[in-house]
Amino acid sequence: MAELQGHRGYIGSRSYFGDRTPQHVQNLVVRDFCQRNGLLFLISATEYIMDGCYVMLEEVMTELPKIDGIVLYSIFMLPTDAGHRQDIYRRVLSAEVDISGAVENLRIQSEADIQTVEDIWAIKNITESDISEIKNLARIIDTE
Amino acid sequence: MAHPTSFADLENNTFGAAFLKDGYVITSVEDPASLDAIRNLIVRTAAEFLYLDTPNDPDIFLNNVHKHVHVEKLNGLRLACIQAIRTADWFRPSYASLAYVALTALTGNELAMQRGIGLSVQLPNDKSSLLAIHADTWDGDSPYEVVQWVPIVNCFKTKSMYIVPRDVDRALQKDLSKGRFHTAEDIFLAVKDDVIFLDVPYGSVLLFSQTIAHGNRINVEPTTRWSMNCRFKSILSPYIDKKLGEFFEPISIRPATRLGLDYKLPGRFDG
Repeated sequence: MAELQGHRGYIGSRSYFGDRTPQHVQNLVVRDFCQRNGLLFLISATEYIMDGCYVMLEEVMTELPKIDGIVLYSIFMLPTDAGHRQDIYRRVLSAEVDISGAVENLRIQSEADIQTVEDIWAIKNITESDISEIKNLARIIDTE
Repeated sequence: MAHPTSFADLENNTFGAAFLKDGYVITSVEDPASLDAIRNLIVRTAAEFLYLDTPNDPDIFLNNVHKHVHVEKLNGLRLACIQAIRTADWFRPSYASLAYVALTALTGNELAMQRGIGLSVQLPNDKSSLLAIHADTWDGDSPYEVVQWVPIVNCFKTKSMYIVPRDVDRALQKDLSKGRFHTAEDIFLAVKDDVIFLDVPYGSVLLFSQTIAHGNRINVEPTTRWSMNCRFKSILSPYIDKKLGEFFEPISIRPATRLGLDYKLPGRFDG
């Protein structure tokens, strides 16, 4: 039985894939997701601004035995390293709780859900790198 | 009359030296009537939320609110109080008046103020309202901000917030990105013997630089903590993730700045 019986929100203070959302808007989206899904919202943890830092996510992970799950503002706040992401999924499912992305309205409650999220991650990765390549190309053409 | 011999003589240095040394100052509120009005608003709102009569003694009521509210309803209570203070048009000017002279001495005389004031309610032994160790700069705040932290009950020991002493904080932040720390609790454990729990009684205000690591722990005192927090900065100092407009609002713009903002330089000469 979870001690706090609720879902911990998780928001960020840096941009992810170039997208920045004000923290109070992230919180609104997380709260709304909880409300629509009948989940008790526990005040969000805010990830630190430093690139590559997941200290607050790991802090929330230590709460898994006491809470019902985690609601990320976005699945793209998960670690960029695929192995680290798999480790997060494994620990969440082992604790028999769930992890969600509020803005995408996606819940990971099973192995099958992981695949859906990873497919989206893979596509995001290639489309974002394509955009970077196009921007680089445009810069080169501009300077010629 | 003696002439000033340095520019520092022209400044109000009452708070500056202590702030630079420790990263914080604790001083008496400048407008006690406003503080009482703010406390009364919160007491009325909380009593209404809990279906109680407005209490005769606000201090006893706030300190003992844990006898009337379970942790599951705590966020509802907090949000009701936040809603009340955000809709009272007098609230923000009154909040600023609690330490306005000190704020201008520390940050400048043209101020931007956080739009939404934070309210913490921490019941005894409640694990759900903890604020892990952090500097607000790690959460996207500009290093040019000062937090005005106002208790509405006496706050001390674990009922208060802690701050990391400046010398320890410097070493901590230098080490932060070196992979030593896996979780925020790891960071706290590295400095737990050094942190200072600040004694801030009702009627006083804490002003601190949020570049310095701070947080709270489980309140193991027998009474409930109530405190408010709000960030102020010089309008023209740099912003990071907490932007002007969405997070900050200008509250004082001096005439020369206003003229400068309105000024249009004559256009390019075409001959």
